[in-house]
Formats: sequence, C-alpha cells, structure tokens
Amino acid sequence: MIPEIGFAAITVALALACYGTGAGALGAARHRPALVASAQHAAVGIFVLLAVAMLLLVYAFLTFDFSVRYVASNTNRGTPFYYRITALWGALEGSLVLWTWMLAGYTLLVVAFYRWRQREAYPWVLAVLLGIMAFFLLVMTVPASPFQRLDPIPVDGRGLNPLLEDTGMITHPIFLYLGFTGFTVPFAFAMAGLIRGRLDEAWITVTRRWTVLAWYFLSMGLLIGGWWSYHVLGWGGYWAWDPVENAAFMPWLTATAFLHSVMIQERRRMLKVWNLLLIILTFSLTLFGTFLTRSGIIASVHSFTQGTIGAFFLAFIALVLLFSLSLLAWRADRLRGQGELDSLISRESVFHLNNFFHVGVTFTVLLGTVFPLLSEAVRGVKVSVGEPFFNAVSIPIFLALIFLMGVGPMIAWRRASWAGLKRNFLWPVAIGAAGALVFFLLGVRHALALLTLGLVLFVAATMVHDFWRGTRARMRAGRGPVGAMADLALRQNRRYGGFVVHQGVLLVALGITGSQVFSVRTETSLRRGESIEVGRYQVRFEGLEAEEKSNHFLVTGVFTVANDRHVMGRMSPGKKFYPQEQQPIAHVAYRSGWREDFYLVLGDFSRDGQLATVLAMVNPLVSWIWLGGVVITLGTALLVLPGRRRDA
Amino acid sequence: MRRAVFGAAPIGLVALAVLLLVGPGLAAEVDEEEVRRIAAGLRCPVCQNLSVADSPSEMAKQMRQLIRERLAAGVRPEEVVAYFTEKYGEWILLAPKPEGFNLLVWTLPFAGLLGGLVGVLLVVRRWSRRPAPAAEAVDPAYRERIKAELDRLDGS
Repeated sequence: MIPEIGFAAITVALALACYGTGAGALGAARHRPALVASAQHAAVGIFVLLAVAMLLLVYAFLTFDFSVRYVASNTNRGTPFYYRITALWGALEGSLVLWTWMLAGYTLLVVAFYRWRQREAYPWVLAVLLGIMAFFLLVMTVPASPFQRLDPIPVDGRGLNPLLEDTGMITHPIFLYLGFTGFTVPFAFAMAGLIRGRLDEAWITVTRRWTVLAWYFLSMGLLIGGWWSYHVLGWGGYWAWDPVENAAFMPWLTATAFLHSVMIQERRRMLKVWNLLLIILTFSLTLFGTFLTRSGIIASVHSFTQGTIGAFFLAFIALVLLFSLSLLAWRADRLRGQGELDSLISRESVFHLNNFFHVGVTFTVLLGTVFPLLSEAVRGVKVSVGEPFFNAVSIPIFLALIFLMGVGPMIAWRRASWAGLKRNFLWPVAIGAAGALVFFLLGVRHALALLTLGLVLFVAATMVHDFWRGTRARMRAGRGPVGAMADLALRQNRRYGGFVVHQGVLLVALGITGSQVFSVRTETSLRRGESIEVGRYQVRFEGLEAEEKSNHFLVTGVFTVANDRHVMGRMSPGKKFYPQEQQPIAHVAYRSGWREDFYLVLGDFSRDGQLATVLAMVNPLVSWIWLGGVVITLGTALLVLPGRRRDA
Repeated sequence: MRRAVFGAAPIGLVALAVLLLVGPGLAAEVDEEEVRRIAAGLRCPVCQNLSVADSPSEMAKQMRQLIRERLAAGVRPEEVVAYFTEKYGEWILLAPKPEGFNLLVWTLPFAGLLGGLVGVLLVVRRWSRRPAPAAEAVDPAYRERIKAELDRLDGS
C-alpha cells in the first residue's frame, strides 16, 4: 500500500506542477494575482508531496520492502542502517525525487523572498520553475518511477553498489544536486526577463547570491566527488576525466564564466546577450549531465543505473534550448549592449578573455566527452578520449586562467595606465619569477610544475599586495591592523570574498600539480616480515586478517609503516568481497599530511596469508586540494554576506 | 614476423605465472618510467575510465607486466602500443591517434579557441571604435540651450 501512496503523491504533484505552470503564466500575462497565488499554493503542495514521497521511499528502504523494485535493486538485508537511508539517492529514480524536491525547495525560497519584492517578474519566474518541475515529475511517473512494484517479490535485494557505501556518498550527491538545481533559479529569472521584455540588470542583481550559492554547492560537489574517488576507488587519483565527471564540470565552467561576466554587465551594461546565453547554457548543461549519466549512452564509473529516460531528457533539453533561444532571438533588439571599450588593456578585456577561456575549456571537454559517440556514428570505430587528451588540451588553458586570475582583479576598469600596471604588478611578477627560480635551484626540473608554481605565487602575491595596501591605508587613518583588515574585508566583501575563493582555487591548483607531477608509486609482492621502501617510507608486511561484515567479507593486510625518523604505526588496507560483485572492492588506507599522503592499496594475497601484493604511493600535496575546498567555503561565506557597499 | 610472435602470446594465466616467476629478474633492466608512460596511454579494459597505469585491477596489473616483459625483450615502445591496439582496437588508446577523423578532436578545440579569440578581438575593436553613446544621447535642442546659456554667461 505504501508504494501506491508514494506513486499517488508523485502523480498528484505532477498534476499540480502542470496546473501551477499554466496558472502562473496566465496570472502573469493577465495580471491576475489570484491565479498567481494559486500557483504558489501548487508549489507548496509539490514540496510537501515530494517530501512525503521521499519519506515513504526511505520507509520502504528501512523496512526492506523488496516488492519495490528500487528498494530491491539498491539494498539487501545486510545493508547498514545509514546506507539504507542514503540508498534513497543511490540510483536514478530516488535521485530524481531528491533533485525535484530540492527544486521545489528553491521555488519556495523564491516565493518567500520575491513574492513582494519582485512583483512583476515573480509570476513568470514561478511559472518557469513549475514547468521545469513538471518535466522531472513526468519522468518520475512514466519512465523512472521509484515506486514501481516487483513481481515476484525477491527474498533479498540485490544490494547497494558497494562503491556507494561510503561517507562521501552521503554528502557528494547532496551538494552536487543543490548546485545543479540551484542554477534553475537564475535561469527562471532570465526567462522571466526575456518574456517580459524587461532586460535591465535586475535579474542579475536579484539572482547573484543564488548563483554564487549554486556555484559553491557544485564546486563542493565536485571536490567531495574527487575525495570519494581518492579514498574509495583505490587508484590514488581524484579525477579521471570520466564522462560523468565532465558532465558535472561543464556547467561549473560556464557558471564560473557567468559569475565573472555578470560583473561587467552590472558595471558597464555590456554582454547582455552573452550573459543570458551563459545561464541558458549552464542550465542546459546540468540537464545534459543527467542525460549523459543516466541514458547509458556513455560508459562511465558513475553509470550506476541506466534507463529509458534518455529520450525524455534529450527531448526536454531540445525544448529548453528551443524555448530559451527563441525568446532570446525575439528580444534581441532590446538587448543591444551599451558596449563601449576604452582600451584593450583594461579589466573589461581581461573579463572577456576569462569568459573566452572558460567557454573554450567547456567546448573542449564537451567535444572530448562526446567524440567517442561521434566516431562510432561516423566511422563505426570505437575510440577512447581520456586523460592524456584532456590534460594536453586543457592544462594550457587552465594556466592562462590562473594568470588572468592575477591580472583581472588588479587592473583598472576602462583604461589601465602604465604607472598603475607597474604599481600593481611589479612586485607580484618579481615574486612569481623569484619563486619559480628558487624551486628550480632546489632541484625541480619539471617545466609545467615550475610554470604553475610561478603563476600561483604571482597571483597570491597580487592579492596579498592589494589587501596589504588597503589595510595600510586604513591603518594610517588610525585603525589597528586587525581592525583595519576586518573592516576592509567586510566593507568590500564581494571583492575580498572573491579573493579568498581565488586563494582556495590556487590551493587546489597546487595540490593537483604536486600530486600529478611528483607522485611516486611502487607495486610489489611481499612475504610476511619483508619490507619495501617507497620515498622516505618503509613498509613491512605483518600478515593478513579477515572479518565477516554484515554484507561483505573483509580481508585486510596489516603493514607497519615507518618513515626516516619514526614508526608511524599500522596501516591496514583491505579488500571487500561482496557476494553480488565479481570484483572485490578496494578498502584503501592512507595517512594524510601537509607535505604528502602515504597511500596503500592491497592487491592479491595468498590464502595462507604469507604473501601479499601491495601498491604503495606517495602523493604530495593532495590534502591541499581539500584545504582549498575549505578556503573556498570561507570565501563564499564572505561573498554572500549582505555587504555594506556594493563594489566589485 | 613479430606480430606472429605477439599473437602467440595471449594474456593467459599460464603465461602470466611464468612471467611472474621471471618477472622480477627482467624488470630490473626495464625503465619503469617507460612502462608507466606506455601504461598511462592505455585504457584498462575492465575498468570504466582508468588507464592501465592507474587502475588497481588485476587485468591492468597483468598488462603492466606484459609491457615490462616486452620492453625487457627489447621490443620498441611504439611496437608494444601497436600490439595492444592490434589486440583491442583503437579503443584501447586513451588519446585517439591524431590521424583521419580523429584529427577533429585534436584540432577543433584549438580552432575554436582561435576563432573565439578572433571573435573577441573583433567585438572589442568594434566597441573601442564606437563613439561614446553619451554624445548621441544629448538632445540637440538641449545642447543649443546649454550653448545659449554659456554664451549668456560669457557675455555678462
């Protein structure tokens, strides 16, 4: 009975969404507040119904209701309690419920914030949001119902994909979906603006915080995904240019471009069409990501489930693009930018280049991701496009972006003077060059690493330099150093919040460089009592242990690890054998440090426990990537504070 | 001839057992960097999207061992790669060979960047040449009035 109630809830929600879309649009077009209010109630209703559906699904998971197909394919009796809850978003159908519920949540926030403040645009925004929800609800009722029954009822479920039994799985999808769905809000405001033909900067100013937050969630989703990969997949890496990683990365790239180019529109009333295009692109790419992941057209580690929903998504993407681009074409005459550029050497130019590179990388990633499909369609030959390709093509662009990150915030608007350039960049350039030289003298011979280090130091120096000058000016006015800094950061929170986010990105860049360039790995078979040496670490194999867990069998290798000076203790990498999986799942063991991570993966072993293969890795600076995530969090918090002065 | 020899060496378990026994002796003479470089360009056939160098799977381990053994036997790196391409098809290469249709994926990003750069430059040039809109926006009548007022001020 429970599943039927759940299905009914979703069906009613679909009906409400369809009604709400119509009522909202009609109310907006005819200026009927009663209809708009009714659409608002529909939005509240959808939110509640989806919450109910989610709770019912969780209930089905907790009570092992294997008559529900989704439950049977994503848990079994051994699945631990917490993972029975997170199994809710362990596969497509449940993810869609969570996704749409979040979308409904954002819609309610829009209702709460803008019902009175944005009286004109608001009804259209509501209609667009409800229309998008209607699509997701349609998918949940027709091709991907989470409550579909199974007959006959199996005795036990298939079990959750073991890779998903991890703490990373609790947070990664939540952040990712919050990011994806968050971009719907600026998209809806942009559409409302186009429909009304009022295309001032209002939609950007109104949605700025939403866009920043969505961007933040997506960034965290990506970083947590990297962390999950690092500590679950057992290959010592965090990013593989997998199609699904790319699918989440592309909207991040266009959103990053958007966050920057809106500043020009706010300041200089330029790039109106471009910004609309970017938000349309970002929103479409979030849909495209889902299409890519879930339609099963591309093999990927994340293709945990596949269904027939590909066609639905493709049709919807086509519809969204057709609708939004037609609107854009229709309103094109009202979108003449008051573009005007005084000099090529100006902040405007840097922003243009920034956008151009972000979109360039997006295009490259998109091309690389879909190229295997193209090749198969055109030549009938399967090819792979993987890490070597993406690295070769995108690294130069990312380096250029890091460079611009140093130039953009410091160069003057309109026209930079030679004196100003010298004042802002002389020291930072010197520091960057000196830093690269020092590392060269210290024995770093990797050209790309030296270039990255130099660039990162340059950018960091521009920011420190700028912040120091601002602080000094305030100190002259009689403030203490700490007070001056806090005052500066809070008064210009958008500028300095952005700086902090940039610093976080630099940390991520350093972490990637360190671990990609200087990683050391050795794989050897060890007899009991034998040792190997990896970097400055010594590893001795002490034997094997085995343990029966609720839903798998765990074999761990026990190793004592020491580095030059002292014994670090035992590390126990293992292998998890799940009855439903052919391949065992790695259970890695690693020690993190500021300088490097020491990472162990257990390979083959003999049954008597006398012999085991171990993969030992020294991964420098990996933890800086995660630290970068923390810094980005702090920067975003500063960025979205209600500022006292609106200043970029 | 070489191909025939390769063809006769399947990645069978028996062959591997032999390899593992003699492996350590051979591996000592092989440049591990070279093994890693070759492995990094090959796709692990049983994983979804990892290279043979990165993958922790048994299959990838066997392939690394095979590369090591080939190199130790004096086979040139490009022939080792050719062997895998022969066996698994182009799909095994993580970066498509830059030839024929594949050239598209290698050149389009740069063509796109170049085209985009030209586009940006054109836009920027047009904007820098465009007269300031403020000059057009001033109503001629208004300008006349200002002129008249100024004249009056000058005259007084």
